[in-house]
Amino acid sequence: MSAPEGPRGADPDREAYAARQAHLLDALLRGHEPPEGFDAAQAGAAGSALRRKRGRAVALAWPALTLELGDAFADRFDPYARAVDAPASGSPLEDGLGFARALALDARGLGDDARVELLLARAALCRHGVFASAALLRRPRRRLLVVVRLPWLMRVPNAIAIAPPNLHLSVRVLRKNPADRRGRRR
Amino acid sequence: MHTTHVTWQLGQGAGWRPQLDGAIARAEGLGFIEVIAEAIGAHGMPAGVAAAMKRGLQVVPHGVSLSLGGAERPDRRRLAHLAAVAEQVGAPLVSEHIAFVRADGRESGHLLPVPRSREALDILVENVAIAQEALSVPLALEHVAALVQWPGAEMDEAAFVSELVERTGALLLLDLSNLYANAHNHGYDALESLGRLPLDRIAYVHVGGGRFRDGVYHDTHAEPVVPGVLHLVEELFALTDAPGVLLERDDDFPPEAEFAAELEAIAAAARHGREHRVRA
Repeated sequence: MSAPEGPRGADPDREAYAARQAHLLDALLRGHEPPEGFDAAQAGAAGSALRRKRGRAVALAWPALTLELGDAFADRFDPYARAVDAPASGSPLEDGLGFARALALDARGLGDDARVELLLARAALCRHGVFASAALLRRPRRRLLVVVRLPWLMRVPNAIAIAPPNLHLSVRVLRKNPADRRGRRR
Repeated sequence: MHTTHVTWQLGQGAGWRPQLDGAIARAEGLGFIEVIAEAIGAHGMPAGVAAAMKRGLQVVPHGVSLSLGGAERPDRRRLAHLAAVAEQVGAPLVSEHIAFVRADGRESGHLLPVPRSREALDILVENVAIAQEALSVPLALEHVAALVQWPGAEMDEAAFVSELVERTGALLLLDLSNLYANAHNHGYDALESLGRLPLDRIAYVHVGGGRFRDGVYHDTHAEPVVPGVLHLVEELFALTDAPGVLLERDDDFPPEAEFAAELEAIAAAARHGREHRVRA
């Protein structure tokens, strides 16, 4: 059986088919009414399943934020997923950062773990060279966590925790995936 | 035509995931594992997969991103990657889905069904042929669990899959959980449908867990295998001897003993079915 090689999209059958698939996919992702002829309840269930799966990947990449949101995670992620496409990179870390931003979470209102997670994700996903930011942690004692990313020095974010009052300075080089709990501070 | 005949015996299998590494390493009686082809990167084989190969387990790469049911022709780079992974693990075959996963540049994030129309079948046949050209091992195609169905179907799933397998010479990756899900959610008889699928073209069988939500069965791979699916395993083996049966678990990973018990339950169902057939 030979594989015809025409230019992409040159085949009228394929073009019409592409439009139909795109229409269905858009309705499912957005949670809109499905195209004519589809069962609305079935499409609703399929769309919810797609958004739930996407949310599950984000939850795994953002364990502290997920813990903090608790049962509200699903209710808050679904409207976000309807409104905003998953990032082209497919990265759940990047997707979760967009979600966290959309929630307009007040970082001061979050627990230590979630704030560290947010800070490290911002550093890891920063595409414009140098990144520096800080968060004041409360437990087990008050410490200032400074996250610095120096891309020409190393590709991973570098975290420096300064612990007053004795000004003991500890520097930790983090693993590449900041969502990986094993790689985190302490 | 790439008609291939099943010459392998895979036995009992498990879908390899990093979280199941220990459970799979210590599972008794496994003959093969499946790896998600897209999860094998340029950084080489996960240690657990390499260890399984060393123990003599066969490895089947399972693709999830080719979008063979898509309107676009399958991407050359994705195909090359699948072929490279197959070579790397010395795979007897590879598998992919009868589904589309992207349209107009957007990813669905999961497998979506194709219309069961003549036109869609023609495009699918052409896409499968392109994939087969790029692969040096046989390709098995898996029918998916579909919560939503396209309107205006010109044939049912068993007829669609049979014709696809017939026209492409591809093998069938029979997913009994997907069959169960579609039969339950769309109101048809799973056993009757099973009897009309090309059972002589089965490369191996998938079994996965799921749950009911508001009366709809969801093929989640995050829960234990439901009794109705185990029953289908038994019925299948009462009809024919499939070359392998593989358990898929993708989330909410159970304790090792529970995973082992799931594998044993599947093996027991296959044994019971086989005994019925031998006695008959």
